[in-house]
Amino acid sequence: MPRLARTQQSCWDAPLFSMANVIHIIFLLLYCDTIHSETTSLPELNPVITIRKDLSRGQSHVKVIEEPAVLSPQTIELLCNLSDIPNNPPSVTGYWTKDGQEIENSKETVNRNNDQYIFKKTIQAADVGNYSCVFRENDAQVTFVFDVPVMKDKRDKPIVSYTGDTVALKCTLKHIPKTWSWYKVNNTEKDLINVTASPLKYNIIIHKNVTKLSVLNLTEADAGVYICSAEFDIKPIESQVELRVLSFLEPLKPFLVIVVEVIVLVTLILVWEKCKTRQDHNTATTENDVYPEQTSKLTHSDSNGMETTTRQRKLEQ
Amino acid sequence: MPSDVTDLVYTPPDGGWGWVVVVASFISIGFAFSFPKSLTIYFKEIQEHFIISYSEIAWVSSIMMATTYAGGPVSSVLVNRYGSRAVVIIGGLMVSAAMITASFATSVMHLFICVGVIGGFGLAFNLQPSLTITAKYFFVKRPIANGLAMAGSPVLLSVLAPLNQFLFDNFGWRGSFLILGGVLLHCCVAGSLMRPIKIKPAVKKPTHQSVTEVDVTHQTAETINRQGCVEKVNRFIDLSIFKHRGFLIYLVGNVVMLFGFFAPIVFLVPYAEQHGIDEHDAVLLLSIFSLADTVACPGTGFIASTGWIRPNIQYFFSFAVACNGVCHLTCSLLSGYVGLVVYTIIFGLTCGMVGALKFEVLMDLVGAHQFSSTVGLVTVIECIPVLLGPPIFGLLVDIFKDYKFIHFTSGGMLLTSGVFLFIMNYYNYRQLENKEKASKKELQISSANELPAREEANDKEAAVNMRSEEATYST
Repeated sequence: MPRLARTQQSCWDAPLFSMANVIHIIFLLLYCDTIHSETTSLPELNPVITIRKDLSRGQSHVKVIEEPAVLSPQTIELLCNLSDIPNNPPSVTGYWTKDGQEIENSKETVNRNNDQYIFKKTIQAADVGNYSCVFRENDAQVTFVFDVPVMKDKRDKPIVSYTGDTVALKCTLKHIPKTWSWYKVNNTEKDLINVTASPLKYNIIIHKNVTKLSVLNLTEADAGVYICSAEFDIKPIESQVELRVLSFLEPLKPFLVIVVEVIVLVTLILVWEKCKTRQDHNTATTENDVYPEQTSKLTHSDSNGMETTTRQRKLEQ
Repeated sequence: MPSDVTDLVYTPPDGGWGWVVVVASFISIGFAFSFPKSLTIYFKEIQEHFIISYSEIAWVSSIMMATTYAGGPVSSVLVNRYGSRAVVIIGGLMVSAAMITASFATSVMHLFICVGVIGGFGLAFNLQPSLTITAKYFFVKRPIANGLAMAGSPVLLSVLAPLNQFLFDNFGWRGSFLILGGVLLHCCVAGSLMRPIKIKPAVKKPTHQSVTEVDVTHQTAETINRQGCVEKVNRFIDLSIFKHRGFLIYLVGNVVMLFGFFAPIVFLVPYAEQHGIDEHDAVLLLSIFSLADTVACPGTGFIASTGWIRPNIQYFFSFAVACNGVCHLTCSLLSGYVGLVVYTIIFGLTCGMVGALKFEVLMDLVGAHQFSSTVGLVTVIECIPVLLGPPIFGLLVDIFKDYKFIHFTSGGMLLTSGVFLFIMNYYNYRQLENKEKASKKELQISSANELPAREEANDKEAAVNMRSEEATYST
């Protein structure tokens, strides 16, 4: 396949490819002292996805985080491209590590090729972990981190619902899995939820990257942890949701407390007022004006009236 | 409508039990304004439960707010008939029953009707009577009382938001609605504090009064209200308040203002998030806004009650509205989190100013006696911009994909409204001054004719003096 050379301004570049059957992912990384660098890309049948990250000068440890690798069985080729080493030695040695531990027999000596030193490693997608290529000469290191995709909108707190009610538990993922399945945790055991076995109880809706489990006619026994599992070729991705089922008496208790408090307050206020007015009536039989005789002229406004209110305030203040 | 001046036979206490009434109004108004906004915490869960879209569930809040405003006239009629206390207690019972019923809802329509309509009416029966009774209890210190009462909205919002979160985590949305029904019963407590004003008869002056109003042997506020009711019903049907120039100015200014008033608040958090602010920090902005609002409301009330501002309160209100507009136009240009915080603080302060003065200026315009019926009309008309404002702005955001547009538009609308109010009020005051001089002249002439003959000479002299004074005035 023809290789296209492209000159780019970034320090290092990591293009990503995918194909229908065997998928080669080539990570091209450049350690360089200069800003100028070269990348090569493999055009395949599917469009090339280029992931660029600009690296500052003198950085000795580069991390590349890539997610989609784990989603389908594939062969991954890791490529470390070292260039612009001072003194330009004829060969460079380096080795690979997985999860921090050196892989046996991975030490390699690579010859210089147009001022570049290319390290290759081929791994299977099932063997995912953190791979690093380490260069003896200048202690440069590149780490490939394969991150497992996580569920979106994870709910830390339990979902609360009531007996006799329906509840919907939802899981979302960025990528579309092969299928989804739901499990209920039963004393550290996972029980698969079978919709056909109990259609009146459960209902599972799957729509691409979203799944919903509806539990109908809740009972106390339905409370617990539910696990949604996104099935991929390599391994499933799981997330759990806790469900709590309450009886209606639970919120009723604070409600009744509040109602009693309100009734007590209202009664107190009205009784106090009655007592006070009775006092006022008894103590002042020939009562004159409680309020001063100077009456303020709150006027009925005319059709265009602010009338005298402005002037009243000016006079009275 | 009677065109001659009549005296209300009482002086507002301006203190004493009035401050307790302010606390009660604080609670009622707080619930009325903040409760619909605080329900949004439950929407995501309810949306999942009933399998509907977010815009459908958001209607619950909108319907509740719209009904709170639209229920104003009904509230007015009831207050004039039965007094504030009864209406607030009924309102509290209504909204509480609405939330309790909603906790058993089996479809979204139940929520719309229970929470939206019945709850909205219950809150309307809280809002309008609270304002009315504050006007009845205060005159000199009325701006302070209004400022303190209107501070209920941001304070209760900052209380309800974490409370709702706590309830939701522990009881789910159904249990929370049930408990909120209990919490809303405190409106009834507030209502029970709203003691009707006991009016004692003042010194009777022989004036041109209708027969019903001369009967002052043992008048209570209810009696006055019943007489007012007869008048008020006529007035309500007549809708002759719309001939009141100052009222029309206020109405137009407020409608324009309200279109642009709420949208920046609604879109504050998404605007912050669009600028790369973390979600928690963005929600913190809302708390800062509430705090600034809480400080500004009573503060503005204090300022407005001073000797210099009080007579010019209409100008002060237009100044506050214009400030709000300027804040949006300039401060939204500040960048970074610090800039956003500064913008939020100034925004909160100006919102508090407008909120505190909004009903005070209406009371100032129409007087406490007519306020009850007028505020109902005002809220029913204001219901339209309150409802339509945020969705229209939301639509514009969707089209233009930039929140800056909101700030410029709402800032422009507020500034226009403020300037309009300022100019039109100045014009209105000038007209009133001219009319008052003319009527003073007429009064003096007519009273001169009624005195006995021996005083006629003096009166004629007085009338002549008046005319010469008028001549000097008009030059």
